[in-house]
Amino acid sequence: MTGTTVGIIGIALLILLFLLRMPVAFAMALVGFAGFSYLTSADAALHLLARNIFDTFASYPLSVIPMFILMGTFAYGAGISQRLFKTTYTWIGHLRGGLTIATVFASAGFGAICGSSTATAATMGKISLPEMKKYHYDDALATGTVAAAGTLGILIPPSTVLIVYGILTEISIGKLFVAGIVPGIILSIFFAVTVGLLCWRNPSIGPPGPSFSWKERLRSMTGIIEAIILFVLAIGGLFAGLFSPTQAGAIGAGGALVIGLARRQLSWQKFIEAAKEALRTSCMVLFIIMGAVVFGHFMAVSRIPFVLAEWLGGLPIPPMAVMAVIAFIYFIGGFFMDSMGLIVVTVPIFFPIVMKLGFDPIWFGVIIVLVGEMGVITPPVGVNVFVIKGIAPDIPLQVIFRGILPFLGALIVFTILLMFFPKIATFLPALVSY
Amino acid sequence: MLNKLEKFNHRLSDWFEWVGVAGILLMMVVTCIDVTGAKLFKSPLFGALDIVQLSQLMAISFAASMTLILGRHIEVEFFVVLLPRKVQAVIRSVVLLIVLGFFILIIWRLLVLGYSFHASGEYTPTAYIPYYPFVYSVAAAFIPFCLVLVQEFLKSLRRGGQK
Repeated sequence: MTGTTVGIIGIALLILLFLLRMPVAFAMALVGFAGFSYLTSADAALHLLARNIFDTFASYPLSVIPMFILMGTFAYGAGISQRLFKTTYTWIGHLRGGLTIATVFASAGFGAICGSSTATAATMGKISLPEMKKYHYDDALATGTVAAAGTLGILIPPSTVLIVYGILTEISIGKLFVAGIVPGIILSIFFAVTVGLLCWRNPSIGPPGPSFSWKERLRSMTGIIEAIILFVLAIGGLFAGLFSPTQAGAIGAGGALVIGLARRQLSWQKFIEAAKEALRTSCMVLFIIMGAVVFGHFMAVSRIPFVLAEWLGGLPIPPMAVMAVIAFIYFIGGFFMDSMGLIVVTVPIFFPIVMKLGFDPIWFGVIIVLVGEMGVITPPVGVNVFVIKGIAPDIPLQVIFRGILPFLGALIVFTILLMFFPKIATFLPALVSY
Repeated sequence: MLNKLEKFNHRLSDWFEWVGVAGILLMMVVTCIDVTGAKLFKSPLFGALDIVQLSQLMAISFAASMTLILGRHIEVEFFVVLLPRKVQAVIRSVVLLIVLGFFILIIWRLLVLGYSFHASGEYTPTAYIPYYPFVYSVAAAFIPFCLVLVQEFLKSLRRGGQK
């Protein structure tokens, strides 16, 4: 059997193991180990297995992941998310659909200090859903907004998925973070406009909330100062070249901890809970990367990515059509797999193709994050939807999915826009030199 | 019997997780001290990168069993749930058995790697901390992980046997 045939069998086996509910990380490591063993030797594969586990878990570049996750959990424990929502709510809550628009912008703000879409959706859901319920917002609009706005957390830096993409492809994490800023802001505006259009068409779904005086509004601004300080400290320090990504994450986590202590919001129990939460998420992510590293070795010796790249590169169709097919594969894949898992599994296969076709790898990173994130709000594996269902158990799943549809439309429109205007994502990274 | 194993695994994984919590917090503290020292006093912390690397190694491996107990690893769930309960239990048992075998293999190979590090005298690049005790610790951290897999396998068998 040729390496390519073994590689194809390996991919089919991997999909089978996924369908049989073997955790993504273990399935990738197992298939990668078996395939590598077949194509080289059992001795080489056995040596590689232990070495890959050690190298991944003890990798300094990967330590950026636990640090940024810790920053997000400490920020939540410090109550920063609540104050962010309160600020946006005070400014725009009185508008029609104002509470949902406030949720979108608060999610964007929290996304600037937290790198996870699920964490952003869970955090904002706990804070904003009770408020929207109080003012008789439509359940579908309320839950759909929170689930969709959670995706901003993964696009606006820091972003765990972009970090992992950067590590897998050896692209500067700083540049990837910069690339996410403008798309994140535009997508927030797209979501806010979506809410506005829905409420304009049917005002009863988003009645105005209470109005606040200018004095109260100005006073509420203290709620975003902490988030700005943290963002400037961690991400600003990274962009300015003061810190490495790991250092930026650690300084951000330390900053969130200090804010929590100064505000007397971070009790000992909350502190431990935040540390444990960050640890468990980091463990899950690093196991996936370990699996991807083992699987990546198998893919490399099978030569599948290179053969595929050669074949697709030689097809008499425009590169953008190939790109559209790849984006579509991510879109479909997102229905069945979490965006992190999807990107880790597919990047070793698709990245060489993208490079061969001459696309900007930073732009591709933003595109696949966007498309992969559609998966977290679509059935059957819409993680954010299940998170929201956990927060609002009385609202049926189909209502939440119905509420998401307009936002999914906005995400698709924005992704198409970004495909035709890559500069949206690439003009800022081009200005920075690291 | 199964309940006892479950309680034992939970307690053991909980203790192990505390090692992980200490590891992740140490990563943050050491990095903050290193950055502050380097930027403000021109005196970075000696061996900071080595400590961060080894702390991460400890943190992730010692949190593995609790992460498994809490079901935090990403799975593709939509297909198996459509099957009859008995079939689900059989599939689950087979999957868990394969993963268990794989991780026993990993423990063995980590012990071999630890031994080779010990024999060849491999150290961290700056602080010259020997790697081998940490590799042995990772192997040890995967023992409760395997025990949780055994527990889940037994639970799955029991579920399959129920009418």
